[in-house]
Amino acid sequence: MTTQQAEISQGRKLSGIWIIPILAILLGGYMVVHTWMTEGPEVEIAFKTAEGLSAGKTKVKYRNVDMGLVEEVRLNENLEGVIATVKLDRQALPLLREDTRFWVVTARVGLGQISGLGTLLSGAYIELSPGTDQKKGRRDFVALEKPPLTPADAPGLRLHLSSDRATSVSAGDSVLFNGYKVGRVESREFDPKERKIRYIVFIDAPYHELVNTGVRFWDVSGVRLSLSAEGFNVETGALDTVLAGGVAFGVPPDVKPGEPVESGAKFRLYESHDQILENPFNYGTHYVLLFEQSIKGVLPGAPVEFRGIPLGHVVRVMVKESVSSNIGLEREGKGDPIPVLVYLEPGRMAMPDTQDSVDFLRRAVAEGIDNGMRASLESGNLLTGAKYVSIDYFQGADEAGIGTFLDYSTIPTMESGLGQLQYQLSALLDKFNGLPLEDTISGANKAISSLNANLTSLQSILDAQSTQQLPADLAATLDEIRLAVSGLAPNSELGQSLSSSLLRLNRTLGNLESLTRSLAAQPNAVIMPSATASDPIPEVTP
Amino acid sequence: MPGETAASRNLASCHLCCKLAPTDQHHCPRCGAAMHSRKSDSIQRTLALLITACVLYIPANLYPIMFTDQLGSSEASTILGGVVLLIKLGSIPVALVIFIFSVMVPLGKLMAMFYLVWTVEKHSPLGPRQRTVMYHVTEFVGKWSMVDVFVVAILAALVHLGGLLVIRPGIAALSFAGVVIVTMIAAESFDSRLIWDQMEDTDSDNTTS
Repeated sequence: MTTQQAEISQGRKLSGIWIIPILAILLGGYMVVHTWMTEGPEVEIAFKTAEGLSAGKTKVKYRNVDMGLVEEVRLNENLEGVIATVKLDRQALPLLREDTRFWVVTARVGLGQISGLGTLLSGAYIELSPGTDQKKGRRDFVALEKPPLTPADAPGLRLHLSSDRATSVSAGDSVLFNGYKVGRVESREFDPKERKIRYIVFIDAPYHELVNTGVRFWDVSGVRLSLSAEGFNVETGALDTVLAGGVAFGVPPDVKPGEPVESGAKFRLYESHDQILENPFNYGTHYVLLFEQSIKGVLPGAPVEFRGIPLGHVVRVMVKESVSSNIGLEREGKGDPIPVLVYLEPGRMAMPDTQDSVDFLRRAVAEGIDNGMRASLESGNLLTGAKYVSIDYFQGADEAGIGTFLDYSTIPTMESGLGQLQYQLSALLDKFNGLPLEDTISGANKAISSLNANLTSLQSILDAQSTQQLPADLAATLDEIRLAVSGLAPNSELGQSLSSSLLRLNRTLGNLESLTRSLAAQPNAVIMPSATASDPIPEVTP
Repeated sequence: MPGETAASRNLASCHLCCKLAPTDQHHCPRCGAAMHSRKSDSIQRTLALLITACVLYIPANLYPIMFTDQLGSSEASTILGGVVLLIKLGSIPVALVIFIFSVMVPLGKLMAMFYLVWTVEKHSPLGPRQRTVMYHVTEFVGKWSMVDVFVVAILAALVHLGGLLVIRPGIAALSFAGVVIVTMIAAESFDSRLIWDQMEDTDSDNTTS
């Protein structure tokens, strides 16, 4: 019997089951490669505090799309800040530009708006805002403390304002044009170097076309109360500016609109609209006036006028510079002249408010000085003693040219007004001083001494015997006169005859009087007898 | 001295109806199924499946097993992260259960199976009886690893409250389920008789030499 033996192969053959692990390894490998390929950049963001940040939880979002996750939060080397290591998706790679910004989004409640309410439940997240810079590849960033109010790529105009005093304007406040909101204040900070408050404002498109070199910005915060002879005046802006503050801008009435401005242009923030009406001009130039007279009454802000037209104002008296610089202005016997800094604005003289006008003004001043233009102090108010600076042409002024004091040009000065009056008065006194009073007095002295001698001789005359006898003689003479007069008394013979003579003369004069009367009635009465009127006869009537 | 085995008498058991039949018969005389003395390619299959399980075990632990979308914010949790979170929250018993069944058991099972495959043709400090016990424990406990997967599956199905709270299974849930299933199949495909065969061989070697 032949039995067929099955052939047993000793070589191991591979089972088909090996496909499964190979498949698993391939799949795993694919996943690893995929993860590696799609692995995004890792960036480090510096924060002030880790508030709202938690490793493995806090997300990074751009336009509310998840872009990555905070992997680690740690203190920095100086222990003065927090560095968050963030793993970003690969799609975030082109968003990492040189000026990309990050900030933490949490719920914020402001006067104008409430934002980030979603983060109350979901927790804070980091917002990414790509910049406009084309340079890419930055990996370490510093987060903003507050969310920027305007996206970096928003169309509009970003301007810099500065003011000397802190106003109630703060970041987030509205920027108004004719009461309509056209932008917002983005930031406010104090610059200790220049001692100015700096603001960055953003004007949205298309309103940024309203901004030109002629516009002025002013604070419209709160309520402005003023009491004047006309009564109460209350000024308010829009309601949110009353509560939160705001900035308005516009072109002052007598200023021509200027050229359009670029982003980053600098403007001054005025405290009120009234202040703009007083100082509507941007361009001006400084001059120094060196006065050799008392500058009492010259206050900062005092007007500088050209023939009565306001041209600028006094900035201040530069006493400190004058003393500290000691720049050889001392003149023989006269002491240092006192420098006064003034600011002249060509716009006040109906010239366009541009730098060209300023140049024109400087040329005109230089030319005018050659023709006798001088500055002088005039009394504006005799009661308060306030003075103003007058610039005018003076005939017969001393030769003088434009000079320099520190970095400023100077305009030669003249004494005038009260100063000139004082000068004339002192000149008069000088003349008095110059009179030969000494000689006069010595002459007078001589005269007095001779007078004295005369008086003594007179005294000797009076003291003489003959003079002493004079009153007695005089009395005897008077007695004789009395005797003579007593002969004329009414009881005396002479008196009686004189009386009868007078009686007779009186009678004669009475006759003469009647004659004169008849002559007056009838001039021929001496020759012709007068018709005497018959006596009236009484008649018996039947 | 162990007793006689079927193999030593050139008998084989049918895989389907367990009828003993001589090994020279290619088909079961009772049910007609193919006859093999031992499960075919048992070691290869087990090894391949174990390697698959190992590969699957990596994403199962690295990737999140579950996403919790709570009011728009999504939170991912891994197996180990969940255990750590539970310990932090003070639920140590629950953390222990999850740790034992989701981390220790699959890992121990993989290691035990590898050990068995490795020692099937070699001398081992552990006797065949101990290894058989090990195999039985592995086979028994394996299915309990699915607890984690079931929890995720049930949560994902139940918690679907619109935008308020949604739980989604992560990629780790799938790979973890894969690990459990593949190791179960691997344990199934391992022929425990091979443990004893080795002893038989040495015995026969000893008797022959």
